[in-house]
Amino acid sequence: MGDAKSDQELIVSRQVLSIPQRFSTGPVMGRFLRELRDNRRIMANRCPKCGRHQLPPREVCAVCHVEATEWDALGPEGTLRDFDVVYYASPDPLTGETRETPYVLCWADLDGTQGDAPLWHLLDPADLGRVRRGARVRVVFADEREGTTGDIKHFEIIE
Amino acid sequence: MRCKHRNVAIIGSGMSKFSSHREEVNQPEMIHEAVVEALDDAHLTIDDIDCVLHGNMELFEMVHQPDMWHVLGSGAWGKSGVRLTTGGTTGATLACAADNLIAAGLHDVVLAIGFEKLQEGHTTGGITNMADPLWGRSLQTGALTGTTAQQLIDRFGGDRARYAAMKLRTIMDENAMRNRKAHRRLRLDRKYIKEAAENSPPLVGELRMIHMCSQSDGACAVIFASEDKVAELGANAAWIVDHETVHREETLILDSGKSTHRVAAERLFARNGITDPVHDIDVFEMYDPSAWWGLDWLGEFMLCEGDEHLKMVENDVIGMDGEIPLNPSGGVQGSNPIGATALVRVAEAAMQVRGTAGEHQVPKPVRRALASGFGGTLWTVLMLLSKEKPALEAKV
Repeated sequence: MGDAKSDQELIVSRQVLSIPQRFSTGPVMGRFLRELRDNRRIMANRCPKCGRHQLPPREVCAVCHVEATEWDALGPEGTLRDFDVVYYASPDPLTGETRETPYVLCWADLDGTQGDAPLWHLLDPADLGRVRRGARVRVVFADEREGTTGDIKHFEIIE
Repeated sequence: MRCKHRNVAIIGSGMSKFSSHREEVNQPEMIHEAVVEALDDAHLTIDDIDCVLHGNMELFEMVHQPDMWHVLGSGAWGKSGVRLTTGGTTGATLACAADNLIAAGLHDVVLAIGFEKLQEGHTTGGITNMADPLWGRSLQTGALTGTTAQQLIDRFGGDRARYAAMKLRTIMDENAMRNRKAHRRLRLDRKYIKEAAENSPPLVGELRMIHMCSQSDGACAVIFASEDKVAELGANAAWIVDHETVHREETLILDSGKSTHRVAAERLFARNGITDPVHDIDVFEMYDPSAWWGLDWLGEFMLCEGDEHLKMVENDVIGMDGEIPLNPSGGVQGSNPIGATALVRVAEAAMQVRGTAGEHQVPKPVRRALASGFGGTLWTVLMLLSKEKPALEAKV
């Protein structure tokens, strides 16, 4: 590097933060995650007023603003509503590792769902070539489950 | 019922140069550029400012209370102040808050500052961490999605939808070429609309690199004043007619009901006697994070039916010489310092009303201008400005 260039050096302070976080899940999300982990079941809660499911569940119906206290198991099969084929190699924010591309994110209406509550997850990379809206899909659970989003491995196309 | 106690106007604005890297200045220094320009534009000094509002994307640069560090550049030392952060809408929320504070009589002159230095953090990481920490963070891809593109293609056919989105992108770039502050000035050519999209790398589905907004460093400052102060100063004013914020509680519902954009437009227009927005509004600064969203949202904000919004693009209704020029500044596809971005929309709309936009001033007379803000969790903010001082009347 020549002198003229080093005269113009802009000093930047480089810092990398790594933050271990611990979030309480509470009784509602906690139940949903426990059912996933222990029983391989996808449980949604249902509004007693309008009957719509909430998936993932939340304490109060977002439309009626009443407590949603009834629970139903949905799926594990369903119909693929929408999908995104992702080419951009974004890092997984939980691990910092760059994802393999392309991969498919999809939204599926699980059988038994009332109202507008598609489940959002990855699609089996093997199904990339035949993904289409309206395809029948099934939830594939991870072998080792810890009560996280990763307890679902992905959807797979079943036709 | 809404009734203002007194009118509020924008009397000055300033912006730093927007760029992918502003490594020659630190955050307070970059903000200082915008503040000095705004004060000069309003013919004021920092001593004339009663209150400083400050906002950006929460923790995108991982600085807790950045307004404390920025006091050297913002001039907020010893003044009343509020820090606001509402995601992508932050800048528009700052403008609404300034209007509210002055209309309520709490302050006479308010300086609103939005900034972002995206190179000093991680944009996609920041947006991803807006997701519910209990479910779905690991699936997030920041603000990138191809679903709107696919919906437009399904509805209007691939060739027509792809052409309209890329023509809108090209018009935005033509406008950015006239704006010296703009970050991306690509010199796109209308002769190669189809090729420019096809040759751009795909990000998600039909959303390609060329369609997507940039990650920019930059700051924007806007000065708001009460009507008494405007009269005292003899200021060149863009009056705030009204503003509307719409959001919804649940973010994961895809298709239910109207968009927050359409609801906001319907409410704002009904309150202010706007029956035909394309005719009644003279220029529109839209928060358009991608060409596909820009195309779709044009239809939502202008309350279009069927393919009216595609025709607006195809027939140059949104061009600089059109009936309702869209983003004479080049819009968000030209520059996107996120915490400043929505305030830039308000500033640019005000510049068009005040006739101070210089090389990107639209040729037609501007009586009314509309600015929009968009936030990642489906928030919409709309602000309507006018050349004429509004009547202080109750609005339902």
